[in-house]
Amino acid sequence: MSSAFPIVRLDNVGVCFSQRAGLFKRREFWALEDISLNLFQGETLGVVGNNGAGKTTLLKVLSGILEPSIGTYTNPGFRASMLTLQLGFLPNLTGRDNAVLSGMFLGLSRRMVLEKLDAIMEFSELGDFFDQPVRTYSAGMRARLGFSVALEASPDILLIDEVLGVGDADFRAKSTAALKSLIRSDRTVVLVSHNQATVRELCDRLVWIENRVTRMEGPVDEVMESFTGARP
Amino acid sequence: MNVAHSTSDSPASGAELAKPRGLPRTHYFSLLWFKTYADLRAEAARTYLNFLWWIVEPVLYMAVFYVVFGVLFKRGDGPEYVPFLLCGLAVWKWFDSTLRAGANAIQMNAALIGQVFVPKAFFPSVTIAQNLVKYVVVLAILLIFLQFYGPGVNTSYLALPLVVFVQFLFITGCTFLLAAIVPFMPDILQMVNYALTLLLFLSGIFYSVDTFPDHYQIFFALNPMVEIIESYRDVLLYERWPDFGALALVAGVSLLIGGLGLWIMARFERVYPRVVL
Repeated sequence: MSSAFPIVRLDNVGVCFSQRAGLFKRREFWALEDISLNLFQGETLGVVGNNGAGKTTLLKVLSGILEPSIGTYTNPGFRASMLTLQLGFLPNLTGRDNAVLSGMFLGLSRRMVLEKLDAIMEFSELGDFFDQPVRTYSAGMRARLGFSVALEASPDILLIDEVLGVGDADFRAKSTAALKSLIRSDRTVVLVSHNQATVRELCDRLVWIENRVTRMEGPVDEVMESFTGARP
Repeated sequence: MNVAHSTSDSPASGAELAKPRGLPRTHYFSLLWFKTYADLRAEAARTYLNFLWWIVEPVLYMAVFYVVFGVLFKRGDGPEYVPFLLCGLAVWKWFDSTLRAGANAIQMNAALIGQVFVPKAFFPSVTIAQNLVKYVVVLAILLIFLQFYGPGVNTSYLALPLVVFVQFLFITGCTFLLAAIVPFMPDILQMVNYALTLLLFLSGIFYSVDTFPDHYQIFFALNPMVEIIESYRDVLLYERWPDFGALALVAGVSLLIGGLGLWIMARFERVYPRVVL
């Protein structure tokens, strides 16, 4: 499933946030300190680690939102982006307009979103509400629309932060199944999850991050064993 | 808008470092177009009067100043004062509205910036485009009004597109520069409010700058909005050509500050998310 050469690499990457703490004082805060990893074509790389380990910041570096303060991020030109629900939604616009807007922010051309609109409308099960303003939606309906759009965006590298399914029980099952089949396809995926069963089910390899530093990278069983063993 | 491969010169990252690919620049222009349309629709949908607010709001704005300066202070000595005042106010309002909203444009989209990579120049550009659309409506109303209460269409109208374009350049330049630095120094936002209020009274909107003694003229000459407003009045009220040399100077300065703003936004493209979150 994976090729021999990493398509994307992080070497000793650190990200420093500098926040204002007073009139002339600034406080430094390292969200990542020393992260190294390889990502191979077509694989699903799981990221495990306790809360505050830096997993979300790692995804932001991979997607190009943040730049490493130290270390190198080697990416020969693949587009990586997070699975983001309801990106850029405007409550006063219809579901249809929001789908186009959100899809374009996620990187689809307007023509591509328009082509996918029927699929989005059908998957979201919104029916006539699709042409109603989003402010009239329930939270579940908004989540369904957001998910349906995000599912259609197709970056080279898909970054997933916890969210696998949304909505009520039925839609959750359906959206999880759709996302899992996308992950299992030959798409390159980085998956952050606290759910061990999910990680074991979907990931080809794992990287374990602790206190903003890479502790281990390798086969799922091996890394999982060390990770769970290290937990108090 | 340096979108895809801005070369980083920070010492830690190697020179060969490749950035994750952004989207082609044309994508962001197409997104700018749709986002402008979407924002304008969403804004209109919030009110009963809907798009009518584009007309009502500037009319109210001008009415306020007309009551104060035209009626209470009796600044105008005759019927010419109203077109004179409205010319200045309509033009000023475009500048004022764009700058007030544009200065905060990046900060306002902090959530979006933290979720997906978008060139930061995109956000002030949306503000500029929205306000341009609204100004077109205001300008159309002003021109209709002037057909009845001014000299009407004459040959100097040929210079009007140029005057509008120079003002557009100036507004764009100021907005890009402000939007670029405000996330790093949010305090500037407070000062922008007062600076704009001060400039409102110093830009020759309520009076003609010619009525002031010579030693004041240098300060008026340093304010591009004075030149822009005078140019509109030359064309729309006095049936004469604007000062093309002065307009060229304003355009040149605008390109410089706008270019500086764009450069700052491109240089710190991936630093903004750390600052605004």
